[in-house]
Amino acid sequence: MPWVRSVLAILAGRSLQALIVALVVGIVSFIMMQALPGDAAYRIAAGRYGYDMMDAASADAVRLELGLDRPWWIQLRAWLGELASFDLGRSHVYGSSVIEKVATQLKYSLLLAGGAVIASLLIALPVGIAAGMRPGGTVDRISLVVSIFLRAIPAFALGIVLVLVFAVQLGFLPVAGFRGPQYLILPSLTLGLGLAAVSSRVVRDAVADAMSAEWRLFARTKGLTARRTIMSHVMRNAALPVVAYVGVQGAYLIEGVVIVETVFAWPGIGHALVHAIFGRDVAMVQGTALALGLIYVGLNLFIDLTCRLIDPRSS
Amino acid sequence: MNTITKELMTTTVAVSELCVHVGSTQLMGPVSFAVAPGETLVVMGETGAGKSLIAQAILGTLPEQLHSSGVIEVNGERVDNVAAHIRAASWGRQIAALPQEPWRALSPLKRSARHVRETYRYVAQHADPESSCARVFEALGLVGAEERLPSELSGGMAQRVAFAAATAGGAPILLADEPTKGLDNDRRARVVELLSEVPRQGGTLIAITHEVAVARALGGKLIVLKDGQVVEQGDTLSILAAPGHAYTQELIAADPSSWPQTASATPGKVLLEACELSVVRAGQNLIEGLNLSLRQGERVALLGPSGVGKTSLLDTLAGLHAPARGSVKRADGLGPRAVQKLYQDPPTAFAQHVSLDVSLRDAARLNDTPWSELEDLLSRLAVPLSLLARRPDAVSGGELQRVALARALSARPSVLLADEPTSRLDPITQARTLEMLAQIADARRLGVVLVTHDAHIAERWAHRCVSLS
Repeated sequence: MPWVRSVLAILAGRSLQALIVALVVGIVSFIMMQALPGDAAYRIAAGRYGYDMMDAASADAVRLELGLDRPWWIQLRAWLGELASFDLGRSHVYGSSVIEKVATQLKYSLLLAGGAVIASLLIALPVGIAAGMRPGGTVDRISLVVSIFLRAIPAFALGIVLVLVFAVQLGFLPVAGFRGPQYLILPSLTLGLGLAAVSSRVVRDAVADAMSAEWRLFARTKGLTARRTIMSHVMRNAALPVVAYVGVQGAYLIEGVVIVETVFAWPGIGHALVHAIFGRDVAMVQGTALALGLIYVGLNLFIDLTCRLIDPRSS
Repeated sequence: MNTITKELMTTTVAVSELCVHVGSTQLMGPVSFAVAPGETLVVMGETGAGKSLIAQAILGTLPEQLHSSGVIEVNGERVDNVAAHIRAASWGRQIAALPQEPWRALSPLKRSARHVRETYRYVAQHADPESSCARVFEALGLVGAEERLPSELSGGMAQRVAFAAATAGGAPILLADEPTKGLDNDRRARVVELLSEVPRQGGTLIAITHEVAVARALGGKLIVLKDGQVVEQGDTLSILAAPGHAYTQELIAADPSSWPQTASATPGKVLLEACELSVVRAGQNLIEGLNLSLRQGERVALLGPSGVGKTSLLDTLAGLHAPARGSVKRADGLGPRAVQKLYQDPPTAFAQHVSLDVSLRDAARLNDTPWSELEDLLSRLAVPLSLLARRPDAVSGGELQRVALARALSARPSVLLADEPTSRLDPITQARTLEMLAQIADARRLGVVLVTHDAHIAERWAHRCVSLS
């Protein structure tokens, strides 16, 4: 079965990649945290007890408790040893398990990422298909201008504008935080608009290419209706570059999530990463960076398998 | 195909004073003809003569920037002044078209049987499309190819799948645009056989071809086009037997079966030697235990039907594909660029969005060849320098193949491996291009391996012929 073999090959390749990513991300984030100026023990103690409540003695206690006075390579080796038994250690600031914290935050982040992808596809697919059916037409030209405009605005600025309009002025939607599904709409839309700005153009190009292909005309002249030709020939061929590109957007999404989560005070992983860095919570930084790295790998795996499903040639 | 009913017997195509224009420039015409059920019309002429425009005008698929004038009637009804979607309603049911490039006409992600099955299901609305499809695959010798993707089909198979898909809707009128392009003699004969079935069953066939043998086998009426103008029109067999116009005579003389025989060569030292060579590609054993040596000044033809592994063998000789067993040895002193290759489909061998001038200058710089030498080569190949400002898609296939030849020669090779370099060109251009290749190969004492599926070319153009089967 060449099909099974190609799927197994994809799985094996991505598993190896996951292992390498785990090592590289863990080591690099550790080294970067070591390179930050200032005494980590003071910052961690400040995070635990507040700036007013801590002093040199509590910082020394933290240093002793977390073993921060040990040479850096021993600390790193300890983290790697724990990683091998699937333990990410405890948060230096909160003392709780990193895995549990990351899992909770990840749940919110994936909810936001999923909402963003769905929002972007709901915008990009109809706009891109309509533009691709008539390249150079009204829809094509207007959507190009809007797409350039949206892509030029940074995600956080767009987020603030949306909050001001829909939450503050109109009062339709909550400003920030997460206490129910309606809280998902504005952050998803913020990310989704940025994604759709580019992916609608990718959809448009893929559809325009498929529509001008010789096989499209042949499907018509052999007697299929325009509608049937689009459903059974054009969409599948056009889907291939779109799926691959939405995968690439996953990277933009993870990067965008960090900023947009901060704007919307979203309890997600990007938000947590920024706080962990400020608080010198090395274990949390390593844990969240590792989770983000592994999501990249998982995303790539998912895209590989989807493309494999659409395109039988790749076996 | 065997569902021709009485009602369809009135089917006919009548065209009067048909012209095709782009803006105010006339590309083709005026052409007038009428074909009745059971009749065949053959349109001949070289590439760029406007043959395809006739088929596109009848079908209603002319590119947007082109427009036609004159009257076109299908089944006694005028169609040239009718809205596009009404004309489209007759596609597949009244009038069907065989594509010029079957590979590009089959959508790349669909397995071959599905292309045919969906026509039976949605166009002919057969109650049991699966068995209709199975029957036609059996009849066309395609059993076993049902689950293959278009990219896994040979040219001949793809053409038959396209034929089955186009005709499954039961249209009594068939337009076939260069249906035998790039096919070997056996497969060409099979396609011609399929096409002759159409008039025999009471349908109407309009075939566009540049091959004399195909025209002769199809018979019927003939129109010869040159630069969009009709130069001769009448009964196919009588015109081919006694062509009145000089251009028709030239077209017939260019058919490889009437080429003069090449005199034998005096080969020099061995340039390339294959020992017990076996070639495997995509898990298929293609060539086994082949011994071949190529000497200076020698022209060797590799002859075989499509799908036998000619291209893979050539890639192996070129060092682009590793042999499964055996070896390919180059003579001492032959560097990596001493072996050059010419490709079958010239447009795919050039960077699409770059002018020819840039492609050639890059090759010249890479090979340290002075530009004057390339200019000299191009003038000997009759390529005007003004052509180089264009992109590959804006010159004809014959011109592009000659530019490709100039590019290959700029590396000052000792060996030239040519993969069906003229199979996509019309016969007059093919004859000229191969003649130029022969002259240059003789003058430079090159060793040439020419892959071809045409036994006449192999026999008459090469010094030696190796048959693969």
